[in-house]
Amino acid sequence: MPRRLLAMLYPYRGWMAGGAALALLAALAAIGLMAVSGWFIAAMAVAGAGGVIINYYTPAAAIRAFAILRSGGRYGERIVTHEATLRGLAGLRAWLFRRLIPLAPARLSALRSGELFARLRADIDALEHFYLAVLVPAVVALLTVAAGLIVCLLVLPVATPVLLLGALSAGVLLPMRMQRRAAYDAAQTVRETAALRGLLLDALRGHAELLAWGGVSAHTERIDALAARVDARRTRLELLQAMTGGAVGLFAQLTVLAVLVLALAAAHRGTLAPPLAVMLSLLTLASFEVVAPLSEALAQWQATLVAGARVFELADTPPPFVEPVSCAPLPPAPAIVFENASLRYAEDAPWALDGVDLVLPPGARVAVVGASGAGKSSLLAALLKLYPVQKGRVLFGGQPVQALQGDVLRRHIAVIAQRPVLFNLSLRENLLLAAPEADAGKLERAVGTAQLGRFVASLPAGYDTLLGEGGALVSGGEARRIAIARALLQDAPVLVLDEPTEGLDARTARDLYAALDAAARNRTLLLITHRLAGLAHLVEEVVVMGAGRVIKRVPVGDYLAGERAAHMADAGG
Amino acid sequence: MRREARGIRKPLLRAALLSGLLALALAGQAWLLAGLLDQAVFAHVPLGRLWPLWLGLLLLAVLRFALSVGARRTVFRAAQHLAQELRARLLRGAQALGPYGLRAQASGDLITRLVDGIEAILGYFARYLPQLGNALLLPALLAVCVFPADWLSGLVLLLTAPLIPLFMTLVGKAAGQASERRYAQLTRLGAAFIEALGGLVTLRQLGAAERCARRLDSECEEYRALTMQVLRIAFLSALVLEFFATVSIAVVAVLIGFRLLWGELQLRAGLFVLLLAPEFYLPLRALGGLRHTRMDALAAAQRLSVLDDVPPVSGARLAGGARAAPAGPPEIRIERVSYAHSGRAAALRECSIVLKARRVTALVGDTGAGKSTLLELLLGFAVPDAGRLWVDGVDLTGLDPVQWRARLAWVPQQPHVFEGSVRDNLLLAAPEAGADAVRLAAERSGLAAVIARLPKGWDTALGERGLGLSGGELQRLALARALLREQAAVWLLDEPTAHLDPDGAHAVEAVIRAAAATRTVVLVAHRLSAARSADWVAVLRAGRVVEQGTPLELERTRGAYADLLQAELQ
Repeated sequence: MPRRLLAMLYPYRGWMAGGAALALLAALAAIGLMAVSGWFIAAMAVAGAGGVIINYYTPAAAIRAFAILRSGGRYGERIVTHEATLRGLAGLRAWLFRRLIPLAPARLSALRSGELFARLRADIDALEHFYLAVLVPAVVALLTVAAGLIVCLLVLPVATPVLLLGALSAGVLLPMRMQRRAAYDAAQTVRETAALRGLLLDALRGHAELLAWGGVSAHTERIDALAARVDARRTRLELLQAMTGGAVGLFAQLTVLAVLVLALAAAHRGTLAPPLAVMLSLLTLASFEVVAPLSEALAQWQATLVAGARVFELADTPPPFVEPVSCAPLPPAPAIVFENASLRYAEDAPWALDGVDLVLPPGARVAVVGASGAGKSSLLAALLKLYPVQKGRVLFGGQPVQALQGDVLRRHIAVIAQRPVLFNLSLRENLLLAAPEADAGKLERAVGTAQLGRFVASLPAGYDTLLGEGGALVSGGEARRIAIARALLQDAPVLVLDEPTEGLDARTARDLYAALDAAARNRTLLLITHRLAGLAHLVEEVVVMGAGRVIKRVPVGDYLAGERAAHMADAGG
Repeated sequence: MRREARGIRKPLLRAALLSGLLALALAGQAWLLAGLLDQAVFAHVPLGRLWPLWLGLLLLAVLRFALSVGARRTVFRAAQHLAQELRARLLRGAQALGPYGLRAQASGDLITRLVDGIEAILGYFARYLPQLGNALLLPALLAVCVFPADWLSGLVLLLTAPLIPLFMTLVGKAAGQASERRYAQLTRLGAAFIEALGGLVTLRQLGAAERCARRLDSECEEYRALTMQVLRIAFLSALVLEFFATVSIAVVAVLIGFRLLWGELQLRAGLFVLLLAPEFYLPLRALGGLRHTRMDALAAAQRLSVLDDVPPVSGARLAGGARAAPAGPPEIRIERVSYAHSGRAAALRECSIVLKARRVTALVGDTGAGKSTLLELLLGFAVPDAGRLWVDGVDLTGLDPVQWRARLAWVPQQPHVFEGSVRDNLLLAAPEAGADAVRLAAERSGLAAVIARLPKGWDTALGERGLGLSGGELQRLALARALLREQAAVWLLDEPTAHLDPDGAHAVEAVIRAAAATRTVVLVAHRLSAARSADWVAVLRAGRVVEQGTPLELERTRGAYADLLQAELQ
């Protein structure tokens, strides 16, 4: 995982290396400042006591230089590391989105809700910390402590192991111990917070039903209980963190005291100049400033691992189809053929399509009817190459859909869905999604044919009106007419109507018929519905499906006559 | 926020006390260390004879550990408690909005506010506020320690200290504005990302996925630019702060150094002051680092406060009296009832209908005619603006709402599926129902056939993180809930057959007819085939009852009902 993350961040290596270098520079300057200042003061005092002349220009210049380097370096470090992070992050988001495109919907069924998408977003944000809160502190701590050890080795070799031991315990051993103790609570907190979100969502979205069924207080109690549990865990984690932070401070002081003992002893023996003893202890103290953030970095590292695992697991999901690099051109009026096609959504799931044979020659006008679960939607999913068939095959324009590029195939099939998905873009952008290059005349014609003209005129900003999140600002009937116009602009030889009037009252549905009639003209039409009702005139034939199979295929007149007879019998019985 | 902070004043003060002690321990350590160096280096006292100093340093180190843990623990506990209370209060506030008020809010947004917003506020109380206290208290305390040792250095510290917050405020103002823009862009970016993922299938169908990806690219780029703009200002303020701190420490160091050289200052005092000087600025620097915590919290608090002052739902909810609901299926008289959703045109205008006991009354009419609103008034989600609802001659507003609802069974248009198993979802209607009753309800509603197809049958997880159900399956689930509540005397059914095929619809209609033998049934239907078997039909148009009677009568009168029938047969 870390290697993959590094590989992903590789394009930004210049920024990242620059940021780390600046961070190192600032850290070294901070330590230098402390050490030289300590030495300087002590040396001045020694000189004052002995009445000796001292060259204070050189150390004073060094102090100034270190001070400027520290402040400036830290400023530059912050700018460059954040620039690097944000660039990497932007790249990561777009990368993930592109990886998810071929997975929808076949491999994304577990990710239906906005809540889960939100988690995905949080995961990507967590990956942001990999560089800023893990990589940079680790590199800086490693190199800075190494530099401190070298100085130590030159000045007072016997103190080197003490500093090494202190830094190792405070920077690595202690945080790791804490991490182990926190692991269970941390993992549970993540899980329970997700559960809490779920319960809250139910409490708000399901409030009307909880109220009606009298379940509000019981549900609220469940939320309170879970929240209390999460809070208790987090208090434990916070305490553990406070203890670790305090312990790191304690270790720092103990190490400084130990180094001081050794240095003063050496000074007494006359093997070390007294100002150097002061310098060494201050150097030790300053070194711990880069060691202290390591415990936070380790915690962040764990979080990054979890988030990264989730993101990569999703991104690495093999797409249901391997897209061909190119494909043969399609005829202007392609035929659709299902040959013994079988489809199921999981290994252990029942067959959604169970050996379907169906031929739709160019220009055919066919309704597919059946109860919910009969396989109507699966038929469409297989045709659009959204789900693979496990047995048999689906041909479009004489070629198996597997051999066609998905985008090319889908450009030839316009779908008007039961609940058309609209985006929070302007009406124009929504209409032009499938045909961004269409000119104003074409747009006007499509809008006219879809009976949308009056709607557009009623909008405050006309075509530039934003439709709201998920098209929240338009009614169901309007959304469907927008979808019709969108499909007209796509100008595909095949049109699929998926329950085009479901959920609308008779009057609104009737208003739609004219638009649907116009849209279906001169195209192969596939109408998917569980009730043919007012749409019979659109089609010539009816295919009845049940349990994933084609039960019969009859002319529409025969089908209606059969329906009427059944109804009479029903009424009579 | 201020008001909330009052609630944890005591723990905050306790933490401030601990921090103050911590600063004193630090000063003590500096004094001992300076003494140690002075004695060992200049007085050449053997190390062994300085053991009291060593011991003192060790003890103070341990004390600092204990104090730092104690201070953090005290504040966090209190802040946690406060956040818990706040969350509970906001949830109850959201619930108090009632179904109508909640419908106007985006629930995803509400959740974000309740979970992430509270988190941000916790950060404010647990981190920012204590640090603010430290920034005020600790420099003053340390200055008091420094003055007796060296008044000149003390003066330098005192004079430079106020400059830091002054500059920080100036830069912070500019950062605040840029930060708001950045926050707005972040929200937009998140929404665009989520929307694109949610509509990915549609985008693929339209061949627009790659174009959408490019749009996301540019949104990300804009966010980066805005963020850097904010950060540059924030970092600049940090630079100013650090610069001042460094310069004043340098000034102090130089002053001490030369006076040491000239023999005007004791080494011990000089070292002591020098060790404390960086600590003097540390709390202020730490506070600067927490400014984004404060900004996040303030933004969150602002968005949470929206929950506190949402305009109340028009007509208020059924608050209820104490009268028990009458036993047996009641006759419900709807008398000149009018209702308007807040800020919108009237949904119901002077509707009068009698819902007879042991009968099925159908409400028909176009989308938006007010049918569902009428059901929801009966559920007590809101109280009519004018007119009365009489239940067996008792005004509905005088009934105890909990008892009243206990006698209702409701099949909503879009039933909500709760997180949990299929069984959990059914038991919502009757938590104490036995296994046999559950099975029977599932069979009669047709849910049993749905369950048989589910991968884990009755234990299949549904809801946000579980399996989704189709429209028809949802309706069967809702109907099963209604059947499970055997004691329900009133059935309120909102288009219970909308997503069913003809056979399924017939079966459900039969169940409804059977239920009507012992209940008052209200059936909202937009398809008249469902209404034709009702005992009484009321036709609504734009909130008014334009026609009512038995289906046969209405068919013959050639009025609104006949029109609807005609439209449907076409």
